[in-house]
Amino acid sequence: MRSAFAYTPRRGPLQVASPGAAVAYLGALVAVAFLYSSPLVLAAVGVAGGLAGYLAGAGRAVRAALWLGLAIALPIVVVNALVVDRGATVLARLGEWPLFGQVNVTAEAIADGVVFGLRAVVVMIAFAVYSACVDPDRVLRALRPVAGRSALTATLVSRLVPVTAADAGRLRDAGRLRGPAAAPLGRAALLRRLLAGSLDRAVDAAATLELRGYSLEPPRHRFVEGFSPSSWGKSFTERGTGGPRRLGGTASRFDGRFYMAGAIVLVAAIVAKSLGADGFDAYPTVELGTEPATLALSALIVLSGLAPWRRHA
Amino acid sequence: MTRRRSTAVATALFAAAFATAGCGFGPGEDVGEVSLTVTRDYGAESVVALRSDTVSESDTVMRMLERGADIATRYGGGFVQSIDGLEADERFGHSSDWFFYVDGVESTVGAADYPLHGGEAIWWDYRDWSAAMRVPAVVGSWPEPFAHGYDGKRRPVAVECIGAGAACEAVRGVLAGVGADVEPESGVDARSDSAPEAIRVLVGPWARLRRDPAAAQIEAGPQASGVFADFEGGGPGTRLVGLGLDGKPALTFGPGSGLVAATRRYDAPPTWLVTGVDETGVEAAAELLDPADLHNRYAVATEGGEETPLPVR
Repeated sequence: MRSAFAYTPRRGPLQVASPGAAVAYLGALVAVAFLYSSPLVLAAVGVAGGLAGYLAGAGRAVRAALWLGLAIALPIVVVNALVVDRGATVLARLGEWPLFGQVNVTAEAIADGVVFGLRAVVVMIAFAVYSACVDPDRVLRALRPVAGRSALTATLVSRLVPVTAADAGRLRDAGRLRGPAAAPLGRAALLRRLLAGSLDRAVDAAATLELRGYSLEPPRHRFVEGFSPSSWGKSFTERGTGGPRRLGGTASRFDGRFYMAGAIVLVAAIVAKSLGADGFDAYPTVELGTEPATLALSALIVLSGLAPWRRHA
Repeated sequence: MTRRRSTAVATALFAAAFATAGCGFGPGEDVGEVSLTVTRDYGAESVVALRSDTVSESDTVMRMLERGADIATRYGGGFVQSIDGLEADERFGHSSDWFFYVDGVESTVGAADYPLHGGEAIWWDYRDWSAAMRVPAVVGSWPEPFAHGYDGKRRPVAVECIGAGAACEAVRGVLAGVGADVEPESGVDARSDSAPEAIRVLVGPWARLRRDPAAAQIEAGPQASGVFADFEGGGPGTRLVGLGLDGKPALTFGPGSGLVAATRRYDAPPTWLVTGVDETGVEAAAELLDPADLHNRYAVATEGGEETPLPVR
């Protein structure tokens, strides 16, 4: 069974677009999530990311990211509520705890933790959509002239995650096939086997890369000679000499849409911030600003989630 | 059935432990009255009129302030940024911030981490701290810290008469009158054999007091002592100098002038100084020990029956 986050080739605009355009679009959403603390804006980013994922056919990845994000957000909320003793509204007094001292749970600390958790969830959704919709090989090709080894590492990591998930699925299937009388397969045993398997795979990948000459210095290319308009869209090896290329190699007619959506979201977020949007304070009492700039930005961000929409199937 | 019973027993045990460990829901029981005053410019101007409020066992200085004024915080709710719109500021080389004193002693922790036990006198002051970043103790919360102690503990008071004569007896009488736990007299012109946690009150002419390490900090300027006063000359010609907001001499007091100030050396309990340029000055200073003369003042100088708050404005 394939991992929900594994890249699945489709003919949707987000998959067809060059990786640079997809990264600009999804990266703008992530940037807004880190720039703002308003739950309204963060929720809008989450909705936009989810909408984009569903429209791009990555609904499963969005759902998986949502659950994974909630699993991460819940401990954040709990820890923040226990560690931070600030805020005016004390909900519960939990007495003296070792290391923590007097522990008071306040509504404000919970609200603050919820904002941290919400940010984690929306960022995970954006990364899930990226992982499921952007071809890692195209990312590698796009980044190879700029940072070859980093691109290779990133691609290997993004490939190894779904491979490990598939391994886990196979191991679970094998465990079930032992029959109903067999002892259930524990998570610790599964993780141990996966870790050992991933180390084997890493050694194999390293040996293969070495045999293919990846440890050698990359060939130096001249960026003027060897470049011609007809070389656009051809792969690195097809062109032979390299040269200036668009990020992601083949350009798509959808690129402009995603670059535009990303730029509009980012510029609007910066302008709105300078106009006083993002009115949220957790302490000393929770104050959620609903000024027009925040509401307008939230609406714009939600609309940006329609960017991967395709009129004709 | 057994499992259900175990769950019920565990729940009951948890509830019992929760209740006996001082835990509970809500802010908890009332522990007493606390007074709050908010001023600016070394107590010169009132921002929030003096008020008293009942505090509960989970209350902190920040929660008390939040109930009495409109505040904004920074650093995750740990520090006060503004009270009733008066915001921390830095311009033209001058920095102004909010400082708070509990029972006349500057806190070493943030307002959100300072628990209240009932009976405290809280004083918030907005001031330019360019001349003295730290003013460790003030006289403006009289009769605190003598009546209830500080840091949640009642402290003994050691009155040290160093060539004071009648003024010393007057000081002892006033302190006993406000409920201070005054240590027994250990002899004329002798340091009392005080407990290390005792609040010291030095009474005597400056020429004698200046030998005490805590009192001698005054001669090192307000940056060291937090007291905007100095003494010039020696012997019969000693003069008291009131310092301005910039820490420079602003007003000189002649014979018969006195000073009531408080300072603190390292983490030792505060040391109050009831002193003067001569014996008449010491007696005049002793007469200042009442709320009318000391309320919301960092230190007070007196000459010819006229009080001058320090720093001089």
